[in-house]
Amino acid sequence: MATIEVSYEDLMKLIGKKIPIDDLRDSGILQVKGQIEDIKNGIMKIEVADTNRPDLWSAEGIARELKGRYNMKSGLPKFNIKKGSTRLIVDKNVKDIRPLIAGAVIRDIKIDEEFLIQLIQLQEKIADNFGRKRKEIAIGLYDFDRIKEPLHYKAMDTKTKFVPLDFNKSLTLKQILEIHPKGIAYGHLIKEHNQYPILVDSNGVIASMPPVINSIITGKVTTETKNLFLEVTGNNFEYINTALLIMVAALHDRKGKVETISVINGNKKTVTPVFKNKSINVDLDFINQRTGLDLKKQDAINLLKKCRCDAVSSGNKIKVTYPAYRQDILHQADIVEDVLICYGYNNINPEYVKISATGSLRKIGMFSDKIAYALTGFKAQEILSYTLTNKDNLFKKMNLVESKVIEIENPVSKTWSVFRTSIIPSIMEFLSKNTNKDYPQQVFEIGNVIIPDNKEETRSKDVMTLAWALSDSKADFTRAKQVLDYLINHLGFKYNIEELEHESFISGRSGRIIIKGKKIGIIGEVRPEVLINWNLEMPAAVFEIDLNELHKLVKKFR
Amino acid sequence: MDNLTDSLHKLERKVLPILHDNITLKDIIKKTGLKEEEITRALQWLENKELIKTEKTAKEIVEIDENGEKYLKEGFPEKRFLSALKKDSRLQNIKKDANLDDAEVNIVLGLLKKKDLIDVGNTIKLKGKAGLDLKEYEDFLKELPKEKSKLTIKEREIYDELSRRKEIIKINLAKDKIIVLTDAGRKIAKEKLDDNLIEALTPEVIKSSKWKNNKFRKYDIKVNVPKIYPGKRHPYNEFLNSVKEKLVNLGFKEMIGPTIETEFYNFDALFQPQNHPARDWTDTYRIKDTKYGDLPKSIKVKQVKETHENGWKTGSTGWNYKWSESMARQLMPRAHDTAISARTLLKGIKIPGKYFSLVRCYRPDIIDATHAVEFNQMGGFIIDENLNFTQLLGLLRNFAIEMTGSKEIKFFPDYYPFTEPSVQISVKHPIFGWLEIAGAGIFRPELTLPLGIKQPVIAWGFGVDRLAMLKLGIKDIRDLFSQNISYLRDSKWQQ
Repeated sequence: MATIEVSYEDLMKLIGKKIPIDDLRDSGILQVKGQIEDIKNGIMKIEVADTNRPDLWSAEGIARELKGRYNMKSGLPKFNIKKGSTRLIVDKNVKDIRPLIAGAVIRDIKIDEEFLIQLIQLQEKIADNFGRKRKEIAIGLYDFDRIKEPLHYKAMDTKTKFVPLDFNKSLTLKQILEIHPKGIAYGHLIKEHNQYPILVDSNGVIASMPPVINSIITGKVTTETKNLFLEVTGNNFEYINTALLIMVAALHDRKGKVETISVINGNKKTVTPVFKNKSINVDLDFINQRTGLDLKKQDAINLLKKCRCDAVSSGNKIKVTYPAYRQDILHQADIVEDVLICYGYNNINPEYVKISATGSLRKIGMFSDKIAYALTGFKAQEILSYTLTNKDNLFKKMNLVESKVIEIENPVSKTWSVFRTSIIPSIMEFLSKNTNKDYPQQVFEIGNVIIPDNKEETRSKDVMTLAWALSDSKADFTRAKQVLDYLINHLGFKYNIEELEHESFISGRSGRIIIKGKKIGIIGEVRPEVLINWNLEMPAAVFEIDLNELHKLVKKFR
Repeated sequence: MDNLTDSLHKLERKVLPILHDNITLKDIIKKTGLKEEEITRALQWLENKELIKTEKTAKEIVEIDENGEKYLKEGFPEKRFLSALKKDSRLQNIKKDANLDDAEVNIVLGLLKKKDLIDVGNTIKLKGKAGLDLKEYEDFLKELPKEKSKLTIKEREIYDELSRRKEIIKINLAKDKIIVLTDAGRKIAKEKLDDNLIEALTPEVIKSSKWKNNKFRKYDIKVNVPKIYPGKRHPYNEFLNSVKEKLVNLGFKEMIGPTIETEFYNFDALFQPQNHPARDWTDTYRIKDTKYGDLPKSIKVKQVKETHENGWKTGSTGWNYKWSESMARQLMPRAHDTAISARTLLKGIKIPGKYFSLVRCYRPDIIDATHAVEFNQMGGFIIDENLNFTQLLGLLRNFAIEMTGSKEIKFFPDYYPFTEPSVQISVKHPIFGWLEIAGAGIFRPELTLPLGIKQPVIAWGFGVDRLAMLKLGIKDIRDLFSQNISYLRDSKWQQ
């Protein structure tokens, strides 16, 4: 998904037709999987959902698509690309750093404010979203009149100096990575190497350090710029060519004259951009099966032309040709969606089909639900907490020695950094947040704990447990055992309590709960030091039961 | 009126008969011998029954102060000064004899000069007769306390005089209640009140015959009673249970899957390429230390791999990259419920069939009113021969009506990496307008075919947290897991 800002007036100018804003919002923009989130001072904030259609992340791309929907244009968009003479020479030493580069020259371009905003926005969105934060794609724009061709793309020593954009003094490449905001943000992509990639012209003037930053001399594009040089670096040619094509197509739609360049890598010469439209054969039957519509071949062809593809009948199939910058079509199913969108989802008459199937819930879920209702009969209030917690809550505050837990490597906050292995700490935390409320507080929670287990295919297992607590001036072991007693008796079992030394509980007032020889839980009166750790002044008694085990016993014996 | 009389509490019965207009609390205490709180309660109840009206007042009461007490005992300083003057005319000796301090001497000298009773030179001389009458001062002090506003003109003069001097008198603010009987109150107060009404019905009362001969005091049944807190289910769980119930009624079977998943089920089996932006560091959680799980021992894993690499037999081009098994084995907390659908499809299912899951999912989002790092997702799929998009819309429409009750529904094109075509459903809410409530689509052939599924599969997912927030009137997603026991205790029954 990409969120972009587009001027309504500018978009209308690009389409060449005035579409009322309501029509655009409620129908037009939806055709490009977009939604107008907000309009302020004529600037629309549009959310474009399709991650695989970066060509729609700018006013130019949206206009190109909508021209088809509003019958301004039909079929494949046409692009004039002239053969140019600019050369870009690639040095062998970038091979292991960032090996690939492609580019283009755009002449006689008139850049106004809106256009400049769109250009920079598109460049950023492509590099950020589609290019995975510049890892796969970084785009550079330059004032071509300040560059003397041929250009050289090579790795240079980290002590090399130039003045980066947004700075007024020259820095070494190493310094840029350390202090320039872009260097800090993207430096990790090249940092491990002892030389960094540089684009330099034949006068030796440094144009940029891909994928980090342009130089201030050549790399600043303004409304004064007449001729543009454009370059994309990365690791996968298909990716960088797609990005280049999307940029070029946008510039072309703004009436720029596009010229190819020659990228020379040793003996190999590649002319970029590679603008080759692609095609796929689609079965009419497949379209009708998948859509449930009863389209004739010509209907399908007309719809496809509306979504800016060329379509011709080819035997019992339709040959669909689509723009070179589209890389989202892997299967004829992708063409089916385009047909449906042009047909209009809301023009389809939904057909209700009855499928006879018997519904059911997980048995363990139904079992725990019954337990929950039994506990509300005890005046216990059900609570809900996150399964994510932290070691402090799980161990330190409970007076326990750390044991193995499933831990998150990249937590947003330390508060939610490990998966709980017990619900008792969740309940203690809840009680600690309600010390100013009426007592007694009798609460319970049923939920998953995640127990590390190397025998499991995911090295852990979910166990549903029930934890109960009473926080009150009169809370003690007896009160806890009364509730446990009732609950186990209600299920038709007898149980034993075995003595247990547990660091969270008062010695001699805690035990292990055993049914039919199976250890199914623990019960105890909480130690004062644990209460103090949770800022609780009231005594508390708790128990926790493994509901998976209990449910197994119920299935086996009851 | 009888009803009212019978409903009077024991305390009210004691207080009411002695009431008269403008009686003070102190008087009532004196006359009834009850404690102040008992009287306050009785008055409150009487007022609730509209038998009396009360008004809070604050009066200024003139009271005798420290020096006042002293002067009453020892005589006023000026009097003592004059008596001493008769023995000796030297100031020092007078001071000593009359036992006066410097401040008192100064005041007395000023005062006596003003009244033209003495001459002050090297010695003090008495002028004329020592005509100083302090009796009215002493009488005034003896009669204190008095209400300031009720002083006579003469008393007022004395008050002004004395209040200029140090700590002879003081003013105290007395708070009190003024009680005025209403007409009904006046009437009942005159009646002879039965003292033998039965208060609580106790086993003793039942056993004795007292209940046959005596009336029961009538309760004020409108009065507020103390709150009790019986146990309740959590409102969010109640909502989720009702949603599950609806799904079961619609024929859906609940699926299971582990909280910690392999990337294989979360991504690969769903045809999300390994270089997909969603698999980046910042968009999903990763597990520390325990990094790798196992892949299922199934030919289907190889089919998934080949589909990613070259499309296998699915008719797709695939993603054209080298698929890595170790990446697929990486562990992560489940980021979406569709992981469970992938698991279920790989395991094998009954066709036709309807399946759902409602589970916690985890994403490292920035936490705000609409984003939490842990949240519930509800989703599932429907599988049958010849399912198509037109039927998908029909099923979704039915679904949306069932879940939200709204009959106004709109469909929008949308994007999900694993469905093609994809659709989003919005319903019209009476207050909030159009709301996106669910997304759906037909699973890509590149997803179903490698898992051995030949039939079309319609996948859907509901924003269950959002539905819950609407239903429960909650604006912040974090409040679904409210840590406030008062909120839980006050939660309302859900339709």
